[in-house]
Amino acid sequence: MRRRASLVLLAFAVCLAAMAPTLRWYVFPRAVKIPPNQYQVTVLEAKPATLLNYSTLKAEQVEKLTIIQTLKGNVEESKRIERHAGRDVVVWDSLSYVAGPDGKMVSQIPERYIFDAHSQDPVHATGESVDGDPVRREGIEFKWPFLTEKRDYQYFDAQARASAPIHYKGTRTFRGMEVYYFEQTIPWTKVPMPKSMPVKGITAEFLARTGITRWYTTKRMFWVEPVTGAPVNGEEIHKEELRDARTLMGQDTVTAFAGHVKMREDYLRSTEELVKSNRALVLLVTSYLPRTFVVLSLALLALALWLEARGRRADPVRPPLTRPS
Amino acid sequence: MRALVAAAIGMVPVLLVILLFALVDLPPDGPTSPQPLLTADPGPQK
Repeated sequence: MRRRASLVLLAFAVCLAAMAPTLRWYVFPRAVKIPPNQYQVTVLEAKPATLLNYSTLKAEQVEKLTIIQTLKGNVEESKRIERHAGRDVVVWDSLSYVAGPDGKMVSQIPERYIFDAHSQDPVHATGESVDGDPVRREGIEFKWPFLTEKRDYQYFDAQARASAPIHYKGTRTFRGMEVYYFEQTIPWTKVPMPKSMPVKGITAEFLARTGITRWYTTKRMFWVEPVTGAPVNGEEIHKEELRDARTLMGQDTVTAFAGHVKMREDYLRSTEELVKSNRALVLLVTSYLPRTFVVLSLALLALALWLEARGRRADPVRPPLTRPS
Repeated sequence: MRALVAAAIGMVPVLLVILLFALVDLPPDGPTSPQPLLTADPGPQK
């Protein structure tokens, strides 16, 4: 009886011991993915900000500038691309809509970002774009991979339509969470005019004909929760200038926008809640269950060996019968 | 010999899990959200 119990325990111990690495290295990459139908809004503000007034053609300080960033998963497109890519793909249609203090549009940049649902690697397919221009992304954008590492990543800059390193600058504590802090500085770079301009009659083509060029620099900061790879906070010190503008604006360089953009408090709170719940799920598959299974399997194995030893002592091999002489 | 059989039986559920993930496509999470890409501040987040 004891020997049978020890064999049953041995079977359970083997099952748990094999299940632990299976969960971490087989189930995790297949089951933990970004859902293709994600819909997320983030509101960021710059208080105060410097903004070009297109009626006076002068830069003015305004009390507040708001950036409404929407990410919307396009399920139909992700299914279409998955058929050719042979892996789970997420397609995010995003819009960064910049509104002035009166709520009117300052600029808007639509994007289509296509990436692997688990690894966050970019997937190149028709439709990948920024403001209507086809692009080929390298590296990440908006989100880091699950189980983010303490290293630099390539981060795609939508304004410059190019990728550059975003540097890991250390581990910080943000609202009680351990996060990795990343920083990227884009030096002054000539960038395309937005397709949508805030004033009717002024188009990107019109400005290009006058010889005006648009330049931009930014310092981008992200606080990333490493288990989910989700940024829990983001800030940007952003400056934009119109240069070679003497013909139209009377001076060579005019500030189009300058400000320190930060996530609004209510969105910081909701992002924190979302990240904390997702973090628990990811940890369940990558850490809590595998570790519990290893400990349990060792305990069951020890118990099985002990029962087996006890069974052998209680049931010794009978000595051979000898005939009395 | 019996120990080997027990270990092999223990491996069965693990192989079934592997087979399940290899063969079954996880169902998609639903359709594209009907909510639009926003062009105005949606107000305070609840």
